[in-house]
Amino acid sequence: MQKLLIVVCVGVGAAICATAAISAEDLVAAVKERRDLMKKTVAPAAKLGGQMVKGVKPFDAAEAAKAMNEINGVPDKYVTLFPKGTEHGGIADKQIPDPDDQSEAKPEIWDNFDDFKAIAMKLKDASAKAASAAEQGKGTFTAAFKDMTKVCKECHESYREKLDD
Amino acid sequence: MSRAWWWALLALAIAGAIVFYLLTIPKTLPASALPAHKPDLANGEYMFIAGGCAECHAVPVDKCKSTRVRDKHALAGGRCIKTAYGIFNVPNISPDKETGIGKWTTLDFVNAMKRGIGPGGTHLYPAFPYTSYQHMTYEDLIDLKAYLDTLPAVQNEVPPHQLTFPYNVRRGVGLWQLLYVDGKTFKPDPKASEEVNRGAYLAKGPGHCGECHSPRNFVGGTIASEAYAGARNPEGKGRVPNITPSHDGIGDWNAEDIAYFFETGNTPEFDVVGGLMAPVQDNLAKLKPADRAALAAFLKSLPPRPDAVPKKNKSGRDNGDDDDGGNAEGDTGQQDGTE
Repeated sequence: MQKLLIVVCVGVGAAICATAAISAEDLVAAVKERRDLMKKTVAPAAKLGGQMVKGVKPFDAAEAAKAMNEINGVPDKYVTLFPKGTEHGGIADKQIPDPDDQSEAKPEIWDNFDDFKAIAMKLKDASAKAASAAEQGKGTFTAAFKDMTKVCKECHESYREKLDD
Repeated sequence: MSRAWWWALLALAIAGAIVFYLLTIPKTLPASALPAHKPDLANGEYMFIAGGCAECHAVPVDKCKSTRVRDKHALAGGRCIKTAYGIFNVPNISPDKETGIGKWTTLDFVNAMKRGIGPGGTHLYPAFPYTSYQHMTYEDLIDLKAYLDTLPAVQNEVPPHQLTFPYNVRRGVGLWQLLYVDGKTFKPDPKASEEVNRGAYLAKGPGHCGECHSPRNFVGGTIASEAYAGARNPEGKGRVPNITPSHDGIGDWNAEDIAYFFETGNTPEFDVVGGLMAPVQDNLAKLKPADRAALAAFLKSLPPRPDAVPKKNKSGRDNGDDDDGGNAEGDTGQQDGTE
């Protein structure tokens, strides 16, 4: 498997160059890990909360809070899983045979990484608020859940390449 | 070649030019087409939202890259839209007299919306979806014009489009308009319910849903027999989803699910809207609940259609039919919560 060399040069008087080797396997692993966080942690939790908001499932404060706390645990880790080369169609994707497992990250993420991170931190805040709102009843939770959804949308609008839907 | 042949060729070229000229004469509406109607600004604002004017015409945060806009009410243009035909630079439609449409009369505006013709007989490119707006009622258009007049005038000279030949021959749009523009206002289907008809009007007229969700043929016209069955993303990679009530489309969403998606951006699996649909859903959320329900009822009334653009994997190979069924549906559909 091909090796990707990323050379990081720090210029302090005479240039000191540190060379780090990141294998394509590491990039593939990053894509898998972040997609799993979304698919296996965020999606089921959002579905549970959403179904309570929509009235598909009866509202349960403890369950709702638990789900929101699960989402709350994701953003810090999530933003560390975006090494260069893991954009849609990038080096990592070339090693991933199943298109459903490939990256949906738009290259714009790396143009605006601070903005991307800021939205992730908004998700952390919004999910914490939704978790505490759950204890105050369905109405408060509904409003907080909808605010959180807006954060999801903000990121999906600019940074998610949803290729096949 | 003999001299006679050259003369014949020249005559043919001249005849062709004359035919082209005659076929592409701008077809505008006379002032008498406009009904007497006192503009209703509230309805004009509603049409502005339903029509998604701001999504293209408001000043973008970064010219070509994202869907974000600075201020939905400053319609000074400047967004660029990269297409197969070249780059469109979205015009200034703020009421600025020099660089916007401040000098346009209501008739000018109606001709642009219903005929795709700007003042002075300029053919407008159908990146501006007059192919849908033409179906709006005169009253709604008059209201919308009056509302646009109340928005801030912003001076901003937008550069001309950068299109490739032959698309840069503006007059050629007239030929295309022969096929796709008739300026006919939406007519309710007497067999359909009032709700479905309202939804159909909003979808086919101001909402211009089919501009993205219907596939296009080789000349760039939408294909009526495959309406709403999904299409290629006009601005990038991937596909725009099939929104007919079929297996490939959103057949497993009930009308309430669809209306709820319009209101909240949540799919039945609680994935959240993104991409180009995100700002559209922002607008849908501002419509009256009855109108969201009407749009949902209209979508449910459509003939179920298979995907117009086959599902493909991201490197362009076919996914195969097996991946389409069962739980894989969730992965290719609107249901997974990835990235």
